[in-house]
Amino acid sequence: MTAATETDRALVDRVAKGDRAAVRLLFMRHHARVYRFVARQTGSEMMADDIANEVFLELWRQAPGFEGRSEVSTWLLGIARFKALSSLRKKKEDWIDDEAAAAVPDSADTPEVVTMKEDKAAALRRFVDALPEEHRTVIDLAYYHGQSVGEIGEVLGIPVATVKTRMFYARKKLGEALKAAGYDRGWP
Amino acid sequence: MSAAEKMSRRDEMETLLPFYLNGSLEGSDLEAVEEWLASDPAALAALGEAEAEFSGTTAANEAIRPPADALSRFAKVLDAEAGPARAQAGASWLAQAWGRFMAVPVGVAWAAAAVLLALIIVQSFVQPGGKGKDFEIAGAEGDLAKMPFALVKFKPDAKMSDISGFLGNNGLKIIGGPTADGVFLLGIPADNAADYAKQLGLIAAQPFTETVIEGRKPVDGG
Repeated sequence: MTAATETDRALVDRVAKGDRAAVRLLFMRHHARVYRFVARQTGSEMMADDIANEVFLELWRQAPGFEGRSEVSTWLLGIARFKALSSLRKKKEDWIDDEAAAAVPDSADTPEVVTMKEDKAAALRRFVDALPEEHRTVIDLAYYHGQSVGEIGEVLGIPVATVKTRMFYARKKLGEALKAAGYDRGWP
Repeated sequence: MSAAEKMSRRDEMETLLPFYLNGSLEGSDLEAVEEWLASDPAALAALGEAEAEFSGTTAANEAIRPPADALSRFAKVLDAEAGPARAQAGASWLAQAWGRFMAVPVGVAWAAAAVLLALIIVQSFVQPGGKGKDFEIAGAEGDLAKMPFALVKFKPDAKMSDISGFLGNNGLKIIGGPTADGVFLLGIPADNAADYAKQLGLIAAQPFTETVIEGRKPVDGG
């Protein structure tokens, strides 16, 4: 088995034996997604950078105890989620960094006016970004991270039924926002 | 089916569509969505809408660019966390040599590649599982079996590029080893004892050489 085809699980086994090269391979495979996941959770790329590093350090530390009951990607996202929430809790003040500020639409325009200036795809992207965090997260995990209902439940520590409920409301809100912007898609 | 029931089913299907698109749906949920897609005219349009969400979400995520130096910074953090003991635990001399080889400049790495390949071949021949015990001579039935040789141990911090350059320039070949102690069998292309001794002296004088022990010498006049 070559490094290129070695499964994530086999690499974790190598990590458990102290193989740093295996950690680096897993880092290369998963860092971007973990980084983006945390950035979307926290709204801060600075925090994402720190937390993503911590996630892979946890991988190094916890690899001997990894039992393979979930996919490595799910495991890493679960660690990332936990660390992101911990960091957000530690943050006393409500802050908004420059990157997040740049992402906020110009308040000089109403949402409708902003929407009229862009096409449906851009509007959809903006509406996804504007979803409440708990809804946006299930959208991200399903569409971008390719996670199943059960895996999202693992990452977020919530029951499968709750995952489905959040997905339902997330998509419902997207549909309503699109409709308000003139893009009626027939549901809800 | 009442309108309320129909809406309820539609809600359920809309909820499952993202998972249908990401390929994670299975069992009865998958069957239900496929049946819906095949039977309800509105379903394909709904699938198209979900695909647009898929694209939009992917674009939103991929617009976030991780720092280009993330891996190198993480490697430093990992080294600080792991320390040298765990990193080298159980590592063979070859594995350590490989690590040093990877550290040499690209411009000279090619020269080391040939030697490294030889080491890997020898390693797999002599040390299945990375745990060697004794010497064996590669190609024992050929010319190498009669070749004069010496036993050589390189310093732990020796660079593969230095070793390979030296071996290549002097026609020397690694023909066996390493043992568990990191000792290699080095073929010495000498025709007589004087030449053999001269080459051993040259090997011993190299900064990367830790030990040289005489092995099979050429027979003068033979």
